Amino acid sequence: MDFSAFSSQFLVGLSRAMILFVVCGGLSFVLGVLRVPNIAHGSLYMIGAFATFTFSKLIGGSAGFWIALILAPLLVALVSLIAERGLFCHLYQREHLMLLLFTFAVSLILGDLVKIVWGAEYRSVSPPTLLKGSLSIFGASLPRYNLFLLIIGPLVAIALWLFTNKTKIGKISRAAAVDREMVGVLGINVSWVFAIAFVIGCYLAGVGGALVAPTASIIIGMDHSLIIEAFLIVTIGGLGNMWGALVGSLIFGVTQSLGVLIWPQFAIVFPYMAVVIVLLLRPKGLLKSVW
Amino acid sequence: MRDKEERELYREIIRSKWFGFSVGIVFLLLILPLFLPRFYVYILALIYVTSLLAMSLNLVVGHGGMFQFHHGVFYGVGAYTVALMLKKTSLPMWMGFIAGPIAAAIVGLIIGWFCVRLTRLYFGMLQISLGSLIWVIVFRWYSFTGGDDGLPGILMPPLLSPLNHSYYFILIILLICLIIMYLILKSPFGSTLQAVRDNPQRCEAIGVNVRRHQLMAVVIATFFAGVAGVLFVVLERSAFTELLFWVLSLEIFIMCLLGGWFTFAGPIIGAAIMVALRTFVGIFTEYWTLILGIVLILLIFFLPEGVVGFFQEIFKPRSKEATEGGNQ
Amino acid sequence: MLQVEGVVKSFDDFMAVNGANLYVGKGEIVAVIGPNGAGKTTLFNLITGQLKRDRGKIIFRGEDISDLPSYEICKKGIGRSFQIVNIFPRLTVFRNVQVAVLSQQRRSHQLFQPAKNMVVKETNNILESAGLLDKAHSVAGLLSHGDQKILEIAIALGNEPELLILDEPTAGMSPEETSTTMELIKRLAQMRGLTILFCEHDMDIVFSIAKSIMVMHQGRTIIQGSPEDVRSNREVQEAYLGGE
Repeated sequence: MDFSAFSSQFLVGLSRAMILFVVCGGLSFVLGVLRVPNIAHGSLYMIGAFATFTFSKLIGGSAGFWIALILAPLLVALVSLIAERGLFCHLYQREHLMLLLFTFAVSLILGDLVKIVWGAEYRSVSPPTLLKGSLSIFGASLPRYNLFLLIIGPLVAIALWLFTNKTKIGKISRAAAVDREMVGVLGINVSWVFAIAFVIGCYLAGVGGALVAPTASIIIGMDHSLIIEAFLIVTIGGLGNMWGALVGSLIFGVTQSLGVLIWPQFAIVFPYMAVVIVLLLRPKGLLKSVW
Repeated sequence: MRDKEERELYREIIRSKWFGFSVGIVFLLLILPLFLPRFYVYILALIYVTSLLAMSLNLVVGHGGMFQFHHGVFYGVGAYTVALMLKKTSLPMWMGFIAGPIAAAIVGLIIGWFCVRLTRLYFGMLQISLGSLIWVIVFRWYSFTGGDDGLPGILMPPLLSPLNHSYYFILIILLICLIIMYLILKSPFGSTLQAVRDNPQRCEAIGVNVRRHQLMAVVIATFFAGVAGVLFVVLERSAFTELLFWVLSLEIFIMCLLGGWFTFAGPIIGAAIMVALRTFVGIFTEYWTLILGIVLILLIFFLPEGVVGFFQEIFKPRSKEATEGGNQ
Repeated sequence: MLQVEGVVKSFDDFMAVNGANLYVGKGEIVAVIGPNGAGKTTLFNLITGQLKRDRGKIIFRGEDISDLPSYEICKKGIGRSFQIVNIFPRLTVFRNVQVAVLSQQRRSHQLFQPAKNMVVKETNNILESAGLLDKAHSVAGLLSHGDQKILEIAIALGNEPELLILDEPTAGMSPEETSTTMELIKRLAQMRGLTILFCEHDMDIVFSIAKSIMVMHQGRTIIQGSPEDVRSNREVQEAYLGGE
């Protein structure tokens, strides 16, 4: 096999995994703290992508993308805050199934809202001039944008780690994930902890959507295909485990792009196959779940 | 002795108030095509197919307590099996009709065998992953399964070509399946299944091989899902990858919840509501998923027991009903 | 009838059972006692197959049942009731017991015959001897706690066990319910020729009913013997410092 083709696919896979990680890290974080898989996560990702399109078109030029990268996730965070404070927080006492269904209902609503606001056509965003074109790394050709992703991914991981381990709120969120009653007994308003965790998780979904915008077509339905992948990744990583989300994303991203080299038509089957194998061998995920 | 027990049961059924009601409804459904416009006949038939699917899911979820998160896969397998057989081979139609549920049950056996070794949530997640693998293969295998386009334009034999004939065929199969499901739920198997739902550990302690029991339930449920898949093809003359996608599986789950999953006929009500909603809202606006989302949220906040559960609560003050908790 | 020899079970690093020995003769009433955390329930779980032992042997009627799954052990003739009420809350009292009887008669898999009128005699028989016949059609989850504990035992009887293992059968009961229940257990043992193994915290009951008592402490068997032997044993007295 051609080594340079292998290594460039490998790097592409790694960079795709970074986007997946940003999204799945957020999903895992919310799952860990609230114990609910947020189906609307995919819709928020989609909103992030569409919003990036709009902001970068509005502002125009190269700066457009950079500013969109900042604004779009904030918009997504705002949407999630409204949904959370308005409706979601009233359901925290209910069984998890109801919460899950609520997130599904929200995903339906957001999906149609996107259709209403942006219409049903394909959109696309071009990468900023700084990141256009490719580089040569160790003989492999890699688009500059992917290199950018390879840098952003670890930065997000470090930021998340710092947040959950070094900031007060982060540590409280981790505690709430393990024992929410105890946290409440300590006099901390658990509802606000949930709100913050939820908004941060959704913010990351927005970031993921913004990051993916220049690399893929922005279409209705990207929410549904993303959320199933995100779920599977979070499951094989270990529920609620952020590092697990990283491992899962790496497995998913790399198997898919290496799959392109082996059997291009069925490249997408490889990551699903990998997920099945992992779950058959380790049904609870590779790393320890937070619960 | 056996005949006597059966006769007792039949006598009880006939005397029960639901029997008269059900017979009346069935009679009504049988004569409806005679004076309803085509569109409504089609919608009713679609409700029947969806009801069968929802009922099959409820066998394992409501009555069995299992986290069957990707039931749609078996529906899709049934549909694709019959569609592929009718389209790609010249085997007689009835073979396809039989092969569908059998294929679904075989897939159910394989997936179920892996899943029953796990508990609850992990059962569900493994099923989602296995089901999604099947979906993605069918989705990509354009040359064989038609991929994203699905398999449209399947020819039905002349006997089933007119819509009304399909309607009757679907209705009759539905009724037969419902009767079988009712018998199964009232049998020792069904009784033990409900006990497994309520307390699997206790069942092990009274000598029930819980895994084997759950696997049997899964195979039965997936068989019926396969039947529903065949009926779908009879009605729609096509098969689509949407049948295998997780969204549909979640929707069936919601139908059971909506209708009330500890009752026998709850899923039928749930299916009817969902299909009716989708159709009639869809006439006014293309954004019916938005409406569905809002309706769901209203339900979550105001009707947590499901529609049937809600009505059961209202009509509760009948002491016998209250003591025979949960099954009509 | 039942021999437990040198059984060991640990969870991660915690030694729940560390050398337990137990002998139960046919027709006897044997009690296991010990302070909280001594490993009594774990031992019962090991015997009935809910847990797998790390080491040691469990022999029932001459057959090694150490590695069998719980549903197999049940079929061998061991019935079990649980410490925390473990019934089928959504089913009626009648169906709770019926399910066990159906399982015993290997009829759990029958698909197409109505269960309603099956094994009615056997089920009512058990309900009657347990004193629950008048509540046969109440939903089990709505019974009083005491009645639920009796239902626990009734369900176990459905399997026509030869050895009945009861885990704290009178936990949470009032003194009145406690004596009624113990009378019931004695009566059932006599009527059905049952061998009974139970564990309890109430020492009065234990010393009045049990023929042989096994004392556990920190996962180990200290002694097994007649009530007098146990009462006068120094180690037992030390283990129970401040206990009942």
